[in-house]
Amino acid sequence: MSSTTDTLFQAVEPRLDPYRLGRRVRTDHGGDGHFEPTGHGEGGPASKRVVVAYGFWIFILSDFVMFSAFFAAHAVLQSATAGGPSGPELFSPTSIAIETGCLLLSSFTCGLSAVATRARSLLWTEAALLVTGLLGAVFLVLEAHDFAAMVAAGAGPQRSAFLSSFFSVVGLHGLHVTAGLLWLGTMMAQVFAKGFRPNILRRLLCFNLFWHALDIIWVALFTIVYLIGLG
Amino acid sequence: MLGKLTWSAIPLDQPIPLFAGGGAFMIVLAVIAWAILSGRMGYLWREWITSVDHKRIGVMYVLLGLVMLLRGFVDAIMMRGQQAFAYHNNGFLPPEHYDQIFSAHGTIMIFFAAMPIMIGLMNFVVPLQLGIRDVAFPTLNSTSLWLTATGALLVNLSLIVGEFARTGWLPYPPLSELPYSPTVGVDYYDWSLLISGVGTLMTGINFVTTILKMRAPGMSYLRMPMFCWTALCSNLLIVAAFPILTATLAMLTLDRYLGFHFFTNTDGGNMMMFINLIWAWGHPEVYILVLPAFGIFSEVISTFSGKPLFGYRSMVLATLGICIVSFVVWLHHFFTMGAGGDVNAVFGIASSIIAVMTGVKIYNWLFTMYGGIIRFTTPMLYSIGFIVTFALGGMTGVLLAVVPADFLLHNSLFLVAHFHNVIIGGVLFAGLAGITYWFPKAFGFRLDERWGQAAFWCQLVGFYMVFVPLYVAGLLGMTRRLQHYDVAAWHPYVIAAGFGIFVLIGAAICQVIQIVVSIRDREKLRDELGDPWDGRSLEWSTTSPPPVFNFAVLPNVSGEEPYWEIKRRAILSQQLAAEPDYEAIELPRNSPTGFITAFFSTITGFALIWHIWWLVLLGIVGAYAVFVWFAWRDVEEYVIPAEEVARLERERRVIRQRWLDEHKQLARVAA
Amino acid sequence: MSDHDRNVGDIGPGVMEDTQESLRGAVFSYSIGLVLSVLLTGAAFTIGYSGLVWRPGLPSALIVLAVAQIGVHLVFFLHITTDPDNTNNVLALAFGVLIVVLLIGGSVWIMEWLNYRMMIPTPGGMGHGGM
Repeated sequence: MSSTTDTLFQAVEPRLDPYRLGRRVRTDHGGDGHFEPTGHGEGGPASKRVVVAYGFWIFILSDFVMFSAFFAAHAVLQSATAGGPSGPELFSPTSIAIETGCLLLSSFTCGLSAVATRARSLLWTEAALLVTGLLGAVFLVLEAHDFAAMVAAGAGPQRSAFLSSFFSVVGLHGLHVTAGLLWLGTMMAQVFAKGFRPNILRRLLCFNLFWHALDIIWVALFTIVYLIGLG
Repeated sequence: MLGKLTWSAIPLDQPIPLFAGGGAFMIVLAVIAWAILSGRMGYLWREWITSVDHKRIGVMYVLLGLVMLLRGFVDAIMMRGQQAFAYHNNGFLPPEHYDQIFSAHGTIMIFFAAMPIMIGLMNFVVPLQLGIRDVAFPTLNSTSLWLTATGALLVNLSLIVGEFARTGWLPYPPLSELPYSPTVGVDYYDWSLLISGVGTLMTGINFVTTILKMRAPGMSYLRMPMFCWTALCSNLLIVAAFPILTATLAMLTLDRYLGFHFFTNTDGGNMMMFINLIWAWGHPEVYILVLPAFGIFSEVISTFSGKPLFGYRSMVLATLGICIVSFVVWLHHFFTMGAGGDVNAVFGIASSIIAVMTGVKIYNWLFTMYGGIIRFTTPMLYSIGFIVTFALGGMTGVLLAVVPADFLLHNSLFLVAHFHNVIIGGVLFAGLAGITYWFPKAFGFRLDERWGQAAFWCQLVGFYMVFVPLYVAGLLGMTRRLQHYDVAAWHPYVIAAGFGIFVLIGAAICQVIQIVVSIRDREKLRDELGDPWDGRSLEWSTTSPPPVFNFAVLPNVSGEEPYWEIKRRAILSQQLAAEPDYEAIELPRNSPTGFITAFFSTITGFALIWHIWWLVLLGIVGAYAVFVWFAWRDVEEYVIPAEEVARLERERRVIRQRWLDEHKQLARVAA
Repeated sequence: MSDHDRNVGDIGPGVMEDTQESLRGAVFSYSIGLVLSVLLTGAAFTIGYSGLVWRPGLPSALIVLAVAQIGVHLVFFLHITTDPDNTNNVLALAFGVLIVVLLIGGSVWIMEWLNYRMMIPTPGGMGHGGM
């Protein structure tokens, strides 16, 4: 390789990282004048807690995408009632309001359990988790009751494409809540049996992310499935 | 008691699947029996099946992929054979059988051959290139592998118990709905992909987290090897797209099992919705396959040209661009479905735009080679073959992106030739190149070069011999998936394609011989140093194979090609870097969780397919029990003491120092 | 990997240890989130079931309220902020939101055009015009 081609290509090839993209943001934690790269992994592998939380966050985002596929199907099929009942005829505002309240409150108590965990109080962590679980169970019972009533009235998922997509998207959320309650029970047992070990703390963190994400999905759900159809 | 399962599910009246499937399972049983009887089962269980080491998992993925590649290839031989014979006659495969063969061919090739090979290579290489010890979630990694194997097992089980789907590799409704596919075929497909899809999604999460949050100190984003960038983008696509596949197949399954009406003919179902959603997954899927392939070629081309990759930043931008744009082109798979000119135009233009970014990459590879000292090893041959072949395939793709042209060519053999062109030229060539390139790192000896080159030439020539005639037949109007035909104009091309298959069979034989010969001659082909190709990235700084902890001390990265820097410094100064302070290393313990979860998933999947409801419950409870049992373990890690780390590292340093001493003349050249 | 934060400037999502000073502050944060969410939910239900908003504008109004409430959840419950230490988490969220928008928006757009051109009948009569 001649030196002319060398210099030619060096002129053509831009200098790597001239804008210091690899180190754009630095924070001066503690103000001692020593700047640390932030969050770009240059300090070596992140701690286990960051890695686990981030990985679970990515999983939640993938779950959002799965829900959005069902939302898309619902958006397309919402008028495909095949001569059967449509949304406003079927949904009871009281029921939905109570379910929403339960889930929102359970999200709050879940947050309280995170505070209790920070304070390393076994009693309050378990108490808050228990209330979260009970509220979630009430939500599920109400929803199951609604579903049963609809099926009994001939408005089950086999009646029309609209009802299929309704039962699926709401049912998928309910399935996630059920799985969440199963997980919650397991976590309560684990915290009781093993205390606040690092891996238990990481799992509690993941559970928190999951439970709050479920409430976010519910906000989208009650808006798009229950309320928009009223327009 | 056993749901729909009866003795009639075994195809005693169909010799081909019976002997093929039966034979395959006999072989599997024989291998297991040999393992047990020769006392190797303990070793296999401890060191491989329950391993959470990314290197072992990567090897197993690639092995699964290669075996399924052979199975898919056999399907292809039967299809080409059938079409070569079936001019004015019915050939040797009845329609209901032929339909299953092309469906199985596509399903197996995409999900259980191409994906595992790419994922396996990413598994093996990415942590080594990032300079770390393992991926973010090693046990999850093991679970992903075994769930993928579950999917493969279920699809192959359909050979001898029941039958497979007859719908093509994407089960369009209403054909895939219950009235028109009342048998278990589509159910085998559904559950196999729902289960393995979970595994793949977990891989995506694993690698996104690993690449973004776990790199060696000093390795900023723009110092990552190109293969890691493409792995990142591919796994971002997995995380974004596979949930869509899961959702869509779940909707189809709900239709079939519970009488829902997502895609049915009646009661408001919208069949086109399936096609829309499945391709919203399907297009990112092909980029999931091809991005790691691009990464492999970046590594191979720069190594065997002796130059750093040209235009690194533009490569990164192009890859990110492909990642994003791949989500706005999916309609080009169904231009003819009738969404109209406006919609078609937008997606058609987007499809043409995405080709630009691949073009940037191709120019960068060419400029990497230009001015370099090129070594024509097998991986490099595959790279050059790829550049030519993939460019051709890409061009036919852009041709298909022109909507009026697509109206004529949709679902013709032209389309079939196009996607085989890009998948074989891109993914398969990359897989074989990558396997050849990283084989010495994994096993400690190189693959035989002569048989590798023979295999390459057979692959290259065979590919063109099969698919160029198919391009022509497609332009002449031949539709895909025909079980028989009677148009005289197509006949010579189908015959020509049939002959080409023999060359590809030759390639497969060469590949097998290569492996056998390489194992036989492994001492001659031994990779003592750990760097057989004069590599540029961090994996070549380890021994071949690397120790379980990869690096005794995580390397400090200061430049774009970290290992090249280290090598230059060592050669110039004629000595290795100073010995680091050794510390004990904690590693995750092996776990049977992945294997046992997959075991229960197989049971659950099989039970769901055959409507054996009590067994479904058992399987789900079993899987949950495994999860809880795993979550309850107290000791998650084991420790390798500092002395052991030091011992292994010093062995490596001795080998490297010896190499330096034997190659003193390099210092004069480099100075 | 050790458990203590070696990377001082990196935070996982959902972690509030470094953003809140005291337990009281943390409870306060969750309480604000709850109150805001209740208000937004109440508003959504009210305008849904009463005639306060012009009917054709109802979907947009509801979506605005929903997005606001999701934002409240993200900030007060999940502690996703625009802090530079949170960049990776925000970028991941942005990527997810992009995919969701592309999927739902794209699917609705495609299927609407399809239904129109294929004259799929809707409950209101034959599919015609209205694009």
